Amino acid sequence: MVQGLTYRYQPGGPLVLKGIDFHVSRGEIVAVTGLSGCGKSTLCYCICGAFHHNRDGVMTGQVLLNGKNIRERRAASLALEVGMVFQDPDTQLFLPTVEDEIAFVPENLCLPSARIRERVEQVLDLLGLAALREANPHRLSGGEKHLVALAAVLALDPPVLILDEVMSQLDQLGKEKVAAALKRLRNMGKAIIAVEHNLEAVSLADRLLVMERGELLSCGRTAELLADRELMEARGLLYDPSGSAQDS
Amino acid sequence: MSFLEIDHVSFTYPRHDKPVLTDVDLHFDQGVITALVGPNGSGKTTLTRLMIGVLRPSCGEIRLERRPLVEYSLGEIGRRVGYVFQNPDLQLFCGSVAEEVGFGLANRGCKQETVMERVAFYLDYFELKDYADVFPLHLSQGEKQRLAIAAVLANDPLFLVLDEPTVGLDAYRKRLLEDYLKKISRSGRGMVLVSHDTAFVDRVAERVVILEKGRVIEDSGRKGKAADEA
Repeated sequence: MVQGLTYRYQPGGPLVLKGIDFHVSRGEIVAVTGLSGCGKSTLCYCICGAFHHNRDGVMTGQVLLNGKNIRERRAASLALEVGMVFQDPDTQLFLPTVEDEIAFVPENLCLPSARIRERVEQVLDLLGLAALREANPHRLSGGEKHLVALAAVLALDPPVLILDEVMSQLDQLGKEKVAAALKRLRNMGKAIIAVEHNLEAVSLADRLLVMERGELLSCGRTAELLADRELMEARGLLYDPSGSAQDS
Repeated sequence: MSFLEIDHVSFTYPRHDKPVLTDVDLHFDQGVITALVGPNGSGKTTLTRLMIGVLRPSCGEIRLERRPLVEYSLGEIGRRVGYVFQNPDLQLFCGSVAEEVGFGLANRGCKQETVMERVAFYLDYFELKDYADVFPLHLSQGEKQRLAIAAVLANDPLFLVLDEPTVGLDAYRKRLLEDYLKKISRSGRGMVLVSHDTAFVDRVAERVVILEKGRVIEDSGRKGKAADEA
């Protein structure tokens, strides 16, 4: 649950988040959309705990995980509960093979080797990455890197997942695989927050949050908000493939 | 004669057995927007890197304005072909947004007034005016993407290669980019656009080339109104 969350990157600097309130339940996908620069990624960083130890940033309000304020949690323990896939997968891939990348967290949790192998195989299978297991993640295409970053986070099996534009560089097959995986994870009871610009990709979410200039503009059932074309058009979020640019 | 010719090019990364591209034969003309599409890992980005000379074909030849690309220095290619990377972090290196947009122009010896005028135009068009003094790597991903595109366009290249330019862009900014790309295409410049964004490709591209497993499996040729007028 996020309550009255505000964030500035420097003391006295502009407010990037201006009092955000929302919650995500177990077994729910909440999508976040809005114009670029409106604070979506900053919100993700605040929720995953990356910012509350940032000495320059100023965060007020609170982020509660199972009723406990994340400020009181150590970053390492929080990382076991909140997995985040960054917008730029290059920032979280650092091992020489896809398999090593996925196995890294389970190995560091000192899980038994049989359990590690099982988790690695599960996520390789879930995201259709088995053929790339020996590949160097840095040599992969942008979309494949995103899938590997997602696989590495899923291997951690966190109850909360934050995905920052993971669909953006995926081909159709990749998008379908990720959508199927997210539905499966939702059924397993995960709480999922997904930032997306592509309204087609947000349609699988149960609820949609629309942000504007650091504020939460609308929050509601995804289908209802997407059907409100006037709102989407007015907020610059509708990209109609049939219209012309001059018309819009 | 085409502006950029890819003549039966194949490419294999060093110390790898499997080719990433096999016998790719494509010609790109000025004034045409071509979309290069295909599944992840099909070799699209590798092909664009060959086009700007940062990778060299294992066999076949690439020609720019009829001259083999290997005879150009990277600087000479860069003055002719503007390249927007898939990941904008790879091409942003200046201390401020305004400096980033003006860097190429200033280094080509343009007068300071011209540089300032062009920088002001691009900052305004891509709605980056408020961030003129901000360190580029402190911007959001979508803002970085807009900055990378603005910095390349400010150099006024003869030809453009854009690798996933709509990643991180919201619908409103996609429309701005679409308008601008169409405008510069109408002024006679050509471009190659790598994208998974089918709505953007449908609206912008006059020609669609599909790559799969390193081979061209379909080339629509030039289509639409522009082709009829040509």
